[in-house]
Amino acid sequence: MKRTYAYIISLLALISTSDIVAQKPAASEPHNGNIMAHKPAATEPPDTVVFPLAIRVGIDFAGPVIYLTDKNNLTAEGYLSADLNEKRSLLLGVGYANYKYSQYNYSYRTNGMFIRAGVDFNLLKPKTSMGKYWAGVGLHYGISVFTYEIPELSQENYWGMTTSSVPSQAHWGHFIELTPGFRAQLFGNLSLGWSLGLRKMIYSGGSKDTRPIYIPGYGLSANTFSAGINYFLVWNFRYRKINVIIKKEPPQEPDEDVTPQPNSGSGNNQKMEP
Amino acid sequence: MRNFRNLLIASILAGFFLLAYSCTPGACFDETNAYMKASLFLDSTGKQTAPDSLSLWGTGMDTSKIYDAKVSLKQAFLPLDGSSVKCKFTIMINGVYDTLTAWYSTFPHLISKECGYTFYHNLDSVHTTNHKIIKISITKNSITNQIEENIRIYY
Repeated sequence: MKRTYAYIISLLALISTSDIVAQKPAASEPHNGNIMAHKPAATEPPDTVVFPLAIRVGIDFAGPVIYLTDKNNLTAEGYLSADLNEKRSLLLGVGYANYKYSQYNYSYRTNGMFIRAGVDFNLLKPKTSMGKYWAGVGLHYGISVFTYEIPELSQENYWGMTTSSVPSQAHWGHFIELTPGFRAQLFGNLSLGWSLGLRKMIYSGGSKDTRPIYIPGYGLSANTFSAGINYFLVWNFRYRKINVIIKKEPPQEPDEDVTPQPNSGSGNNQKMEP
Repeated sequence: MRNFRNLLIASILAGFFLLAYSCTPGACFDETNAYMKASLFLDSTGKQTAPDSLSLWGTGMDTSKIYDAKVSLKQAFLPLDGSSVKCKFTIMINGVYDTLTAWYSTFPHLISKECGYTFYHNLDSVHTTNHKIIKISITKNSITNQIEENIRIYY
């Protein structure tokens, strides 16, 4: 539940970012209003912006930071992405996780690799983004290859202590994830960003009795839904520039319902002809 | 554009705080024992009926009783030994002794990360002496931590 709050708050932050962008008028945009309504001429060429396409290499630093505070949980991951155009980019991520957990009646170990691949969608306007800022969502498919074991488990009841263990076994896990996120250029080719990972389990592997507790790349597998957060340091390699046509805002027609009143003192500078 | 950077920094800081807050360990609220649940039926009426008194213990463990002259008990919970393939109980219904033996297999089962593992059982067969108990039947072989009847004891 607590995690859900975290993600709702982050999503709200993301949405509010889009609003800021949407509400900010561009310097070149005509002044909306009754007086200065501007209609572009039919022969006027469309506005374009030069948009740099890039190949990006991102390294997650949330995993190592968490490992500093919890030595039983190591996740190291990164990704490679390539812009297809100003809106879409392909992503391939790889990672490694080593997770250990123990409490009074059992211990658990797992480690493995995972990959995720998919498409990221930039929701910012090209004029705002300019290849420096990204706010959007990714849709990825993830596969995890992992082994897990339960070196010891015990239970005490009326008859005494019963102990057992489950030897190491290899499994595959499959999941899809939705990754809303945000990225901004810090300086030069270096960017910083975060993304939420909202994941839905498709297949977790293991029998129903000794199913894995933790799946690398997915997280705790108790539920068919899991969530996490990543913070990425990203290096951008710009490989090409494209011209992106900007859609012009449709000019606002003068409000015909308002009947101008002479000497009304409304502050409108429009001159009324008799 | 400064808005973006400020928002990015703020969201990163907020994210770390929320991440730390959300990593607090949970607690176990589930039943962690898998008992063999035995319902008590009065053979003459065929209805589930509590005997006047019921005592139960593991045979050879007379000093440690599971139930000691319990009244109003319609369903008894019998713990099984996970390190064995059979369990023998002495059951005293209304002052008359019987011996009940259960054969089963045992396997670990994950309840949750917080609760850990328990041992589930698969009941193969049950046998009883017939001093007070008239008959016994298996209704569900799978012995789990759920409240589900496994055997019926008719007395």
